[in-house]
Amino acid sequence: MASLEELKKTSQLTRWLNDHDILLYEYEGQIKALSNICRHFGGPVGYHKAKNGVFTCLWHNWRFSCVDGSCLSHPGLPLRQYPVKILDGNVYVDLLG
Amino acid sequence: MKPYTLQAQFQADMDCPKEVVMWNYYDHEHLVGTHYKLYDKARVVAERNDWALVFRSKRMPLLPFHSSGIGFQYMDGNTMKSFHKDSLGFFLETEIDFNDLPEDRCTIRVTYRINTHPFFRVFEPFFKRLFEKWFWATWEEDAPMRIRRWKVHKLGFKEFSGIDYINRKIAKPEHLEPGKYVFDPPVRTSSPIKTVQGIERPFTQGLELGYDE
Repeated sequence: MASLEELKKTSQLTRWLNDHDILLYEYEGQIKALSNICRHFGGPVGYHKAKNGVFTCLWHNWRFSCVDGSCLSHPGLPLRQYPVKILDGNVYVDLLG
Repeated sequence: MKPYTLQAQFQADMDCPKEVVMWNYYDHEHLVGTHYKLYDKARVVAERNDWALVFRSKRMPLLPFHSSGIGFQYMDGNTMKSFHKDSLGFFLETEIDFNDLPEDRCTIRVTYRINTHPFFRVFEPFFKRLFEKWFWATWEEDAPMRIRRWKVHKLGFKEFSGIDYINRKIAKPEHLEPGKYVFDPPVRTSSPIKTVQGIERPFTQGLELGYDE
């Protein structure tokens, strides 16, 4: 999905891969990947850089935890977590995992 | 004395059906989200299927202060009509015409009018400049929202649910048949926007990493 170097620049980036919009980020030393599609109306969760461990969707301000993508505005509508693998300085995301 | 009409008109095309743009204009909640640099408060005072009475507080380009006011908007066929009385006393009438173009595109024409004392005729160039800046500022913030909304619709997005193949962790179906985008107001909400407290923007600045479309 991206190189570690790219991710290091902002510690957060988004990218469409095979019709999955992925939010890749580093949080407390761990690299994680979530769906970037807010379950409210489909807004971009990772448009703004996370603050205090929380992503805030640009469109309607739904809030999601950086820990696991759980929705703080509407519990029960979490973002999908994707397994991540790091190989030779590149980050790979498993779209089937 | 006959009033003088200050008028400005702008038109632009969008790469999505007109119903997506109608949704965007009827979605009051996104004002303090998508337009967080312009709007700081919003409240739906009353609403039915094809009309809404809305309180908004915003800061327009070129003006060094916030203005607030009550606006009424309703659908009249493919035209949205909006009437907004602001705290300065001006009564702004806006018409937004939505028209289809081939290949799931559309064109939007927005006309702003203020009927006022003939004295204000001298301010017409400023009025046009102000609304030109306003139209393009909001257009540029809304355009990626509309395009993304259309994109996720085509991937099978359902409101307050998401995209099935993503959230159920299954392979993307070979053929998705999302159907026509239907504009069916009022826009569904679960925030306090329809209560007396309304909603406020959560922050005045963010580090924008942007869309990847």
